[in-house]
Amino acid sequence: MSLRGKAAIVGYGETSFTRANVSRGEPRLSYWEYFSLAAELALENAGMSKKDLDNQGLAIVHPEVNHPLFVGVEVAENLGITTRWMITTSHGGSSGLVSLAQAALAVNSGIVDRVLCIAGDAPMTYGDTMMLTEHRRDYEKPFGVMGPTSLFALVMRRHMHQYGTRPEQTGKIAVTQRDHAVLNPNAIFRKPISMDDYLSSKMIAEPIRMLDTVMRVNGGSAFIVTSAEEARKICPRPVYLLGFGECDNYYHDTKQLGDVTSTGVGQASRDAMTMAGVARGDINFLQPYDDYTIAVLMQIEDIGFCEKGKGGKFVEETDISYKGELPINTGGGQISAGQPGLAGGQVNLIEGIRQLRGEGGERQIDDARLGMITGIGALQYGRNVGFNSVGILGTEV
Amino acid sequence: MSKFGVSADHAEGHERPKPLPEITPFAQEFWEGTKRGELRIQRCKGCGHSQWIPRPNCEECSSRELTSELSSLSGVVYSFTIIRQVVMNSSAFEAELPFALAAIELSSGVRLIAQVVDVEPEKVSIGMKVEASFEHLSDKVAVPKFHPIV
Repeated sequence: MSLRGKAAIVGYGETSFTRANVSRGEPRLSYWEYFSLAAELALENAGMSKKDLDNQGLAIVHPEVNHPLFVGVEVAENLGITTRWMITTSHGGSSGLVSLAQAALAVNSGIVDRVLCIAGDAPMTYGDTMMLTEHRRDYEKPFGVMGPTSLFALVMRRHMHQYGTRPEQTGKIAVTQRDHAVLNPNAIFRKPISMDDYLSSKMIAEPIRMLDTVMRVNGGSAFIVTSAEEARKICPRPVYLLGFGECDNYYHDTKQLGDVTSTGVGQASRDAMTMAGVARGDINFLQPYDDYTIAVLMQIEDIGFCEKGKGGKFVEETDISYKGELPINTGGGQISAGQPGLAGGQVNLIEGIRQLRGEGGERQIDDARLGMITGIGALQYGRNVGFNSVGILGTEV
Repeated sequence: MSKFGVSADHAEGHERPKPLPEITPFAQEFWEGTKRGELRIQRCKGCGHSQWIPRPNCEECSSRELTSELSSLSGVVYSFTIIRQVVMNSSAFEAELPFALAAIELSSGVRLIAQVVDVEPEKVSIGMKVEASFEHLSDKVAVPKFHPIV
């Protein structure tokens, strides 16, 4: 059964992101409050009230900060709604897209008519985070691994070694995304950066610089999914889910000694394009999950916008700005807009929805009709990312 | 354990203790080995597959008949990074900055991530031959650290 054109997004919302610096007057909120704020914004945008969600569906992305496992029912309590269908997603940066695909399945199956999908996280408010993987505790931290930055540094060094990828190439991604963040009122970084700023930015784990990485923030976002049929009745600009692909526990060649420079986004994107019945060339923009610039570069290759290993050259020769041939992360991505913990994956997704609604403001892409969004998460030991998903959204079925 | 209560997940004998692993049942032989200066890597009795990190079963054929085979201590650097800042880990590592951290391919056919020491981090390179020695983090735990060999 294909999900193509069966479900649509009829409303969305995103809070502004904050470092929760109380001395600067910024609020220091809980993740519960971000769930609620995001839900309110999405409801308002959809022209709905809480009553429209009562006895409907709820999909919740697990936060990264330490939280109760039964978060789902507590969110429903706070929202004051009873649900007929509820899931929580724990797919790292892939969670938001997985929520969307699961919501589409739920409305298409007839279990519910509407699903509210929410993500919220507050790493600036809480010190403790969940244990994300046992291997991080047992075989990484005692061995001197500094979280995902170290692991992505190993991937990036290998990419540079195998393909000659240069810092000026990943730098172009950082500089362009920052230009986009300048035009995004929700973004945390709104001052432009130059290539010199990028090249002289502090090394954290060579070859990864500070400006290759994300800044953690508090924030949340939400969107409401209905059947395509209902969407056409109640929403002037529905955004349809046309294609979806997921690839978890991806490895390249062999499980132990595989090439670490490829992600499962390649396979997921082929599945998504097959479902949508579109070719790469039809796609107007790409919102790839960006925890590191090298992740963006690898995904461009894996989706097939260029040959494997030629991502650096492709980025150098292509206008990836919102005005360009292949606009990338037009809201600044997480690298420049901020990473609200595990709500981070929805940053790229919400920007995709916004562009297709024509609500991108000063950074609106001309005639945006078909967009590709990706989600990746959970760096596996000695491999690449463990969760990969790709969604293709469009303004028409 | 100090009577003032040293956290159980921190190594003793360090001013700023390094984080310790939890010794899960299927990793016991690995950790017993490192204390003796050995690297013991799971090998499947059914299909011969070698795997690191320790798992409850073979990731290829799902057999739970796994031996803990003595691996050569030497390997080759597959990739490396120079850590210049402690993030998401213990401040105990600050005393060692900057340091090289590498993915090392052992001749037993697995890739292991560990520090490369006794060399300036800038001199580490892909393809460099390295050999493990062990740092004792507690009386129960030793971790491999690698140094260049000719």
